[in-house]
Amino acid sequence: MDGNMILVLPVIVPVLAGVLVLVGKVFRKDRKSLTGFSVLVLAAELALTLWALMTGGSLTVLKLTDQITLGFHVDEVSRVFAGLTAVVWLLVGIYSVAYMSHEEEEHRFFGFYLIVAGVLMGLNFSADMITLYVFFELMTLTSLPLVLHERSRQAVQAGLKYLFYSVAGAFLALFGIFFLAGVSESLTFAAGGVLSDAALKGKEGLLLASALCIIVGFGAKAGMFPLHGWLPTAHPVAPACASAVLSGLITKAGVLAILRVVYYIIGAHRLRGTWVQNVWILLTLLTVFMGSMLAYKEPVLKKRLAYSTVSQVSYVLFGLSMLNQTAFVGALSHVVFHSVIKHTLFLAAGAVIVNTGWTRVEQMRGLGQVMPKTLACYTIASLALIGIPPASGFVSKWYLAGGALESGTGVWAWVGPAVLLISALLTAGYLLPLTIQGFFPGHDFKGEEIKKRKLTGKEPSPWMFVPILVLAMAALLLGCFPGELISMFRSIAAAVL
Amino acid sequence: MIEEMEYFIPGICGMGLHLKVDGFRLIYSLIAVWMWGISGAFSKQYMAHYQKKSRYYLFFWATFVATVGVFLSADLYTTFIFFEIMSFTSYVWVAFDEKAESLKAAQTYLAVAVIGGMVMLMGLFLLHDVLGTLDIDKIGPAAEKVLGGASVLEDGRAVHVAGGFLSARVQLYTAGFLMLFGFGAKAGCFPLHIWLPKAHPVAPAPASALLSGILTKAGVFGIIILSCVMFGKDGNWGLLITGLGLVTMFAGALLAVFSVNLKRTLACSSVSQIGFIMTGIGMSCLLSWAGEGNLLAVRGAFLHMINHSLIKLVLFLCAGAVYMNLHQLELNDIRGFGRKKPALCFCFVMGALGIGGIPLWNGYVSKTLLHESIVEYTHLLGEGGAGALEGVVPGILPILLNPAVWKCAEWVFLFSGGMTVAYMLKLFIALFVDKNPERQTEFDDMSSHYMTPLSRTVLLAAAVILPILGMVPAMTMDRLADMGQGFFHGEGHSHAVAYFSFANLKGGLTSIGIGILLYVLIIRPFLTEPEITAAGETEGEKKALMAGRRYVNRWPAWLDLENLIYRPILETALPGICGAVFGFLDRYIISAPLTVFLNASAIFCRAMDCLTDGFVILARKTVCRQLPEPKTYQDGNWAAHVLGTFADRWVKLKDRILGQKDPDRIRISSVHHFIEREKHMKHIGALVEESFSFGLMLFCIGLFLTLGYLLFVFLSHRGPI
Repeated sequence: MDGNMILVLPVIVPVLAGVLVLVGKVFRKDRKSLTGFSVLVLAAELALTLWALMTGGSLTVLKLTDQITLGFHVDEVSRVFAGLTAVVWLLVGIYSVAYMSHEEEEHRFFGFYLIVAGVLMGLNFSADMITLYVFFELMTLTSLPLVLHERSRQAVQAGLKYLFYSVAGAFLALFGIFFLAGVSESLTFAAGGVLSDAALKGKEGLLLASALCIIVGFGAKAGMFPLHGWLPTAHPVAPACASAVLSGLITKAGVLAILRVVYYIIGAHRLRGTWVQNVWILLTLLTVFMGSMLAYKEPVLKKRLAYSTVSQVSYVLFGLSMLNQTAFVGALSHVVFHSVIKHTLFLAAGAVIVNTGWTRVEQMRGLGQVMPKTLACYTIASLALIGIPPASGFVSKWYLAGGALESGTGVWAWVGPAVLLISALLTAGYLLPLTIQGFFPGHDFKGEEIKKRKLTGKEPSPWMFVPILVLAMAALLLGCFPGELISMFRSIAAAVL
Repeated sequence: MIEEMEYFIPGICGMGLHLKVDGFRLIYSLIAVWMWGISGAFSKQYMAHYQKKSRYYLFFWATFVATVGVFLSADLYTTFIFFEIMSFTSYVWVAFDEKAESLKAAQTYLAVAVIGGMVMLMGLFLLHDVLGTLDIDKIGPAAEKVLGGASVLEDGRAVHVAGGFLSARVQLYTAGFLMLFGFGAKAGCFPLHIWLPKAHPVAPAPASALLSGILTKAGVFGIIILSCVMFGKDGNWGLLITGLGLVTMFAGALLAVFSVNLKRTLACSSVSQIGFIMTGIGMSCLLSWAGEGNLLAVRGAFLHMINHSLIKLVLFLCAGAVYMNLHQLELNDIRGFGRKKPALCFCFVMGALGIGGIPLWNGYVSKTLLHESIVEYTHLLGEGGAGALEGVVPGILPILLNPAVWKCAEWVFLFSGGMTVAYMLKLFIALFVDKNPERQTEFDDMSSHYMTPLSRTVLLAAAVILPILGMVPAMTMDRLADMGQGFFHGEGHSHAVAYFSFANLKGGLTSIGIGILLYVLIIRPFLTEPEITAAGETEGEKKALMAGRRYVNRWPAWLDLENLIYRPILETALPGICGAVFGFLDRYIISAPLTVFLNASAIFCRAMDCLTDGFVILARKTVCRQLPEPKTYQDGNWAAHVLGTFADRWVKLKDRILGQKDPDRIRISSVHHFIEREKHMKHIGALVEESFSFGLMLFCIGLFLTLGYLLFVFLSHRGPI
């Protein structure tokens, strides 16, 4: 191990803490020490991450062979992803304290929740393809118990589906990685790509094929067509806090993997104008539209949000597939904004489930009488996701569409923005009915169930509400004042393109 | 002229907010302040009995900020941001009532707002792409260069075209159309006017006044930017806007004539008046394209905007005064409410005269200017002054430049003005002249307390302005026009128009004549019918005579663009088709092959797994069958086997003959039975044998003893023998 040792701390601390939570008897019996310890670790994780991000540098953890090493490195991209992960993970952790009190076997949830935090941090810090792949697989395995938590038949089936899709995707990607390893000096990330022209001579076709394999393979995690199927299955059965991080952050791991491969291993210039780019754009646009449309038809709120994630994460991939700076800025900003927004939405949906037990949208008529503040937060996040200015989604869409138009990809330059906007319309169509029925239930709505169950004004507890509020405010304010973020994304874009 | 001020806030929403104050923007911000102030004061009484007042006031003022933001914006990015905020905050007004029709209207409003917003955003993307700027001051010259076919913009930047397969010109036009869709939807331009007649009647009256008076003007603001700034000298665009304006003007007025609901009539009237304004904007385009000064049209359009805002404020607040007392808006229900209420009557009449274009009221001035601009253009075409047909899309468009067409346009204009007079007359007679057959005395009793002093004061204040503007136009309206025309890029010689000369009065008087004729010949005979159920026969003939006529809705119900076209497409066709396609994709294209693959591979793997065992089993069943062992009669002798086998066969035969095939009857082979029997018999035999020999032994012993005794007796008696 040589390099900046601090980098290992955000990875190892939560993993050890998680193992401790899993095996420690005291955590099984005493709820207060369990939640207190978990939140403390998450807060420490945030501090450690910030420390690591500030000191920066790189670290070689392990040399398996001369070629194969495990290493961490902090660059601008890892700063974006790691910072986002640490903050959001803490907020969702605080929310879980109240949410999970309604579930059984809390120590198992919190144990794996902490472990996944460490693994994700390792993924964000990884300095080369091997490390990334190792942590990618680890993430799949450690996040599986979060899906399985309920241990019902559906949960187990959903968990297996999640596992199979993820592993299948990762293996598809692994094929590509094997090829790339053969045509490069090392698989350490470097802006602009590391492939050597000499080794590539005569293998251009194979390079493109393996690039597509990697994109589709890692795209499984990001919910990209055709391997998107796990998302709508896994989300409704997992606890709301698990769905939130699965949807808001774990999918982003797929994005990160694709981003690293395309921009840091292969190099954008090798894909620009090829059939792979066209296929990639086609897949993302298909996913954007399909996700929105299926969400529009979906009655179960959490499943609707899951389909929405399918659609929205492909906005990000669409931005990446454009291979130019403006769209890249849009993609990175949508990573952050979608993550914040989707967490708000899922946490609000979880609050509804805990307080009322309602899961289908048509049950939620008159929700404004039950939890007006939570519904207001949901509404702000919805408007942000639709892309209504000045909330955050608008900013990222502006850059995505602008990038698409200047990308010079022929017909996609027009079709892309059009699909994004049609999807935005559908987004309004599937998110706003909840707000409308909630705040304007109509004169014929008597709210018998609400009165009978004494639900009026039953807001979630502060543990749950504060994270929702913070995230909703972030969704709004990041849109109003995105200057710092955008300039940071611009510098990344300038480096890789 | 006032000094221009600009204010740039960088970083907000990525591109920064850019605000600016010039004559036009200042005037419209002040109008916004005026309108919000008056409606806010009026709301105090109107909203007194509503719940959730804080919700109303929150969104009331939020919309104010957003609307002023739209009017102050200096680039289209800022315009769009405030425009969207305005659309969403004003949604709450429409849905506020929570009645079924309010919610439906709100749904329409939201759909139009969201769709309009997204389409406009697409237009903005394209515009930003092709021009590289969204600054309102810069897009004019840039667009001119692109339309002129230049390849480099002023700042040296090459004209960039997305995709590269369409020319910059086409992309600019596309952007223009898309943005026109968005702005036109808000302005209420045909065929996107559907939300206005639905949303206005259900919103609270102060909110309707604002929706109609100034929110639609936000849309018009955008249309002005597109038409006067961007396509300022483009004939094609001018023809499009003028055409849309004329259609909107006529369709709105027609709907208003047929409407039997007070606020719906006013809403349709708004659509119609927006048509007048758009016609003016289109004319300004056409006039400057023809190389003439477009001041007439510009000033007409601008003044009509102002007039319409001020007039609709008064009229909707009058409707509000009716509604807050009666909670009804159907003309038949509110007939005669205005009798013996001079303040309400005064205000309504001021508004009606203003919007009807009656000389000495403000609407007359702007309508005259608009009319003059059409006349001037007709003259120009007649003289061949606009012979510069180059640049116009060939085909039918040159035909449109025939003076006869413009003569027709003039008559459409005058006729729409006439319809305006007619429907305002209809409303006036319904409210203030007709008597209500049932509740007239109740209405008359309300005369003292139907409005609080505050409401009365603000309503009168809003109404008094209208004749003042109209009576001294040179001092008031001309100055306003001088301030505002710069924004429209009005050019040409500014000569004082003699508004009250005969030539100008002629147009106005023609409209009034048409209006009165329409009322007398069409509305009264065909759109009303004699009261039938007024009071019943028993009340006597006197009441029946008083009953008068009631208003009927002759507009065909199916002829509603929204229900006829938009809703079926949006709610059924699109989700149906796309949902089915993607549901199919999701379920069958992805899942089905996966399932098939999984099942097939499961079968295949199971087959592999069972391959060895299968061979073993197959072999055991066939070639390597275990041979039966040779018969050994270890138990029992052959007789038992023969007999048993014989008995078995016999039983089987019997079963077969009798048809007994009961599987539950497990048959035990008789062989065992016989063997058991044999064993038993042998056992018995052995027992018998053993007992027999024992008996024999005992017998022998007995015999022995007997014989011994006999021998002893015999031997002891031998002596004496």
